[in-house]
Amino acid sequence: MTLATWFALLVAIILAAETVRALRQRALGSERWRRFFRHPTAAWGLVILVFLIMVAVAAPLIAPFDPDRQLDIIGLKNHPPSWTFPLGTDVLSRDVWSRIVYGARVSLGIGGLGALVAVSVGSLVGAVAGYYRRWVDAVLMRTVDVGLALPRIFILLMAVALWDRLPFGVLVLVIGLTSWFGTGRLVRAEVLSLRERDYVLAARALGAGAGGVIFRHVLPNAAAPIIVSAALGVGNVLLLEASLSYLGIGVRPPTPSWGNMIADGAPNIYTAPWTTLAAGLAISLVVMSLNAVADGLRDALDPREEGSTT
Amino acid sequence: MTGVVWLLRRLVASVAIIFAVVTLVFILIHVAPGDPCVGSDESARDPAMCPLLIRQFGLDQPLYVQYGRYLLQLLQGNLGYSFSLHRPVRDALAETIPFTLQLAGVALLIDFLVGLGLGIYQALRVNRLPDLVLSNVTLFAYSLPTFWLALVLLLLFAEKVKLFPLGGPSDPVLCPLIDSAYCVADRIWHLVLPALTLGLVGAAGTARFQRAAMLEVAQQDFVRTARAKGLSERRVVLRHQLRNALLSFITRFGLTLPFLLTGAVLIETIFAWPGMGRLAVDAILTRDHALVTATGLIASTVVVSGNFLADILIGIADPRVRVAADEAVPLLPA
Amino acid sequence: MLSAMPRRVRLPFSILVAALVAGAPSACERRGGCTGSYCGTLIDAAVGEPGTLLPTSTEEIVARDIEEQLFLKLADVGMSTNTVGDEDFQPLLAQRWEWDGPLTLVFHLDPRARWQDGQRVTATDVAFTFDAYNDSAVASPYRPQLKRIASVTPRDSLTAVFRFRERYPEMFYDAVYHMRILPAHLLRPVPRDQWKTAPFGRAPVGDGPYRFVRWQAAQSIELVADSTFFLGRPRLRRLIWRFTPDLGVAISQVVADQADIREQVVTPENLERLRAAPQIALYPYRGNVYTFLSFNQRANGDTAKPNPIFADREIRRALSMAVDRASLVRSRLGELGKVPPGPMSSLLWIWDPEIRQLPFDTAQASSILNARGWRDHDGDGIRDRAGQPLAFHILVPTTSVLRKQYARLLQEEYRAIGVRVDIDEVENSVVGQRVGTGHYDTAILSRANDPSPSSGIAQTWTRAGFGGSNFGRYANPEFDRLVDRAIAATSPDDARRLWRSAMDLINADAPAVFLYSLENMAAIHSRVDNVQLRPDSWAALLRGWRIPSSGLIDRDRVER
Repeated sequence: MTLATWFALLVAIILAAETVRALRQRALGSERWRRFFRHPTAAWGLVILVFLIMVAVAAPLIAPFDPDRQLDIIGLKNHPPSWTFPLGTDVLSRDVWSRIVYGARVSLGIGGLGALVAVSVGSLVGAVAGYYRRWVDAVLMRTVDVGLALPRIFILLMAVALWDRLPFGVLVLVIGLTSWFGTGRLVRAEVLSLRERDYVLAARALGAGAGGVIFRHVLPNAAAPIIVSAALGVGNVLLLEASLSYLGIGVRPPTPSWGNMIADGAPNIYTAPWTTLAAGLAISLVVMSLNAVADGLRDALDPREEGSTT
Repeated sequence: MTGVVWLLRRLVASVAIIFAVVTLVFILIHVAPGDPCVGSDESARDPAMCPLLIRQFGLDQPLYVQYGRYLLQLLQGNLGYSFSLHRPVRDALAETIPFTLQLAGVALLIDFLVGLGLGIYQALRVNRLPDLVLSNVTLFAYSLPTFWLALVLLLLFAEKVKLFPLGGPSDPVLCPLIDSAYCVADRIWHLVLPALTLGLVGAAGTARFQRAAMLEVAQQDFVRTARAKGLSERRVVLRHQLRNALLSFITRFGLTLPFLLTGAVLIETIFAWPGMGRLAVDAILTRDHALVTATGLIASTVVVSGNFLADILIGIADPRVRVAADEAVPLLPA
Repeated sequence: MLSAMPRRVRLPFSILVAALVAGAPSACERRGGCTGSYCGTLIDAAVGEPGTLLPTSTEEIVARDIEEQLFLKLADVGMSTNTVGDEDFQPLLAQRWEWDGPLTLVFHLDPRARWQDGQRVTATDVAFTFDAYNDSAVASPYRPQLKRIASVTPRDSLTAVFRFRERYPEMFYDAVYHMRILPAHLLRPVPRDQWKTAPFGRAPVGDGPYRFVRWQAAQSIELVADSTFFLGRPRLRRLIWRFTPDLGVAISQVVADQADIREQVVTPENLERLRAAPQIALYPYRGNVYTFLSFNQRANGDTAKPNPIFADREIRRALSMAVDRASLVRSRLGELGKVPPGPMSSLLWIWDPEIRQLPFDTAQASSILNARGWRDHDGDGIRDRAGQPLAFHILVPTTSVLRKQYARLLQEEYRAIGVRVDIDEVENSVVGQRVGTGHYDTAILSRANDPSPSSGIAQTWTRAGFGGSNFGRYANPEFDRLVDRAIAATSPDDARRLWRSAMDLINADAPAVFLYSLENMAAIHSRVDNVQLRPDSWAALLRGWRIPSSGLIDRDRVER
């Protein structure tokens, strides 16, 4: 690690902490934010998330080495952590810390995009089902049942493994398309209760089309479960990507992702555990932060929960 | 709506779902590129054999013919033949089911015992130090990738501190079959690490969920009434909260089932546990049509039955919920 | 937590826990009291499970190790692995033999040989076995090795007559080495096209020193010694092959004394772990496996058209010169691997470091690629020509950690000279299917050698291997001719000279990059005595191993 990279890292940490502190100041003005910050873990989670996003974005500044570069396959393989290599090197003499930093890009990217697809499809399906009811609802909900009946990894494996060379984008799309079922059910329940509200009835009386009603009145008010879903969804997709990479069908080498770093390091876990440990802890940290933030959001956005589950 | 009609409706729906799943899996595996003639390693395979194999298993017929044939076979109890395992699918599956049940059973036990215990304990000591500490612990445990936890546990307790075996379901020397008390104990000893891995992460989730559910119930009117009537705090909790919170626990049971089949896949691989999850993954990766379809069938049947069972239990326990059971909403999105 | 439970639940719960705790010590009884010189249980930590144990149809090395104990050959090579003539061969099923003319070999079977169901082993079995191995319906991978034998007929119940098509130095070797004799009376009823999936393969009946006991799917295979074995009762009573998904876990089992044998250590990291285990003894022996990166010279998916990249000999040579094979071996294998001077392992007598090989020379590789028009026209770091980038895929099986690591190393080596490589990691059986049908660009494959180059090299690298093991479809008529002459050469000097020329030629043609040849190291529990490891098949002499009664440990004494 060079001085420059240490400096960049420090800047990222400070920036993250400052951002959250600024948000906290703003919290005093808004009831919702105050509820959010009542959880100390939610605040910490937010700091960690912002920090990791910054790290991912500024990866070339923070990572001291090229993540794919095999520095010295004879002399530097499986080197234990040291000042030059804070997390050691892996079996092919690549710097683990650099790979974690660049892996943040890949893993968070997949997590974010996959969750986006999942939440979008789920919200849409749920809203349509809840709004139209009757046979539309029945058909869509049966589809959800079928989707929930098959274990997710099973469907994913079938889709990914059977077509040998899936491009990255398609992989994310497929992950998203197999993860929307829970959100769908949630949003549908929300919409069912919302559709009888006054403003919805008013909008329909005024002749607003179904699409308009759904997008302008129903969905924004169903935002609470959608947002919480999204936060948790990112974590789920991350874990899913890790599992797929462990099975060898996730992100392809040499691109580092936290999942395939665990897979690469697993054969050497007895003699050189740092690769596997670092990647696993990184994933745990992110998922933990996401869960903490989701907890806070759930309290902040849902008035029914107020005051009970602190 | 009477109970019986409701039950029948649910039953028909469940069967329809299983049917749809099997059809979906069947179509997927047959449409995927790659042909079924595979050898076990890279040595020579006579290319003339392949068309023979294809004809023998009827794979050159159009898809709907194959599908019809498959359904017919299914009704006769024939699950097909597995290319990769050189055995009828039914035999291969039958061998793995006891192992999966053992692992899932013990993992579920750990999950619910530890999870419920922790959740209830936390709700009783809400916002005091034990609750806060445990909240963070469960948050961390809930966020761990299970297969990573498996690797770490294996490293710690099988390698560094040689307390548990390194995988496999039993001692191959003394207990190839379970035929004595010693062998039962041996099987349990081999189960500890894999079941702990699955169970602990699940327990963390259950604990969080249970705590939230119990605290929510605490606010409801009937609890406040009971408290107002002067009943002791402990009895208020244990009689009313527990019973109603258990209802939501049963709902969650139905949701945990698919997770056990999913999460178990990697655990089974790492601990060399010969269960159905590993079989399913290997089947998909080797494009073994019959085996994949059969495991899809079994997996969906298990899940759907679990949900169905959960619905019945809730329906019995709380008639208010029966009508709304169809619209059961997962309280923590999957 | 106990205090949180209602009183009603607390009592039964405590009783349950107390019962389990009390029951545990009594459950920990050890059974068995085998003492003496015929005890012993050895557990082999095997990676990967065989598909079938029927010798005509097995493909995995683990299956062959197990079949060594179950089925006998007529005779087998000695520790010297000399395959010329018949002086160095050990009689097994055949008690003695003689030549009845230049093309006729007569074997006299040992009258004491018995199948494990009690029937005698007869010459009919031998004739039946030859017929089965040759039958295209059985589609045995060993069929090509028997092509020089015209017929096998029984003269009487204990005499089998082999007739050859031509005379060559390794006639005896071909007659005895490739076939394991099968019981005709049990296999005749099985339709030939169903042999690969026959139940016999899951519960074999043989005539060897060990009997099959049970096969627990995905867990283990157990064999027990046949105390009436006519060549001497094996001293080790039980052999168990235990399957693990992973080499690392297998090594852990040996280190933790949960297994006794790990016949291939493979990497220096594993060796370190085993050296630290006090109860393990390490035995080096010559390796018989070599691994190579195969270039598909036909188009990916269409064997009728040439491959746009690899059909060109100069490009193949350039790609071979771009790989620093010695560094890769030093990095991944250390002392446990060598750079092979051609398609061979160190087991083969034709191994000669003087054989002409392509040097590691990235400058020359670059200039060849430049000359062929592959330059980086668009500045993206990857060479291109007429708008197409110089890119290909490497196919590698998920089961081999070493080959996966090699794929990543090669990816980096090629990136350095402007070639883009993508890695496809797929299941082992899918690798087999894809290379067999030509649906690949390059693949990292392994070959296990027989003790003689005559079978393997012809099968994998000559035109005769098209549709068989020659997946890359390399064909050089001069090479084929040299190999044929080398096999038929009567004097050892002629043979050596011809093989040397053939190897020089194949290296110059670069149909593959010959990456490494494993130097074997076996880790075996130190209590085992008289360990003999024959380099072509480590388990061939297992029946001679023994454990002195002073060295018996718990699992040896079990008497099931």
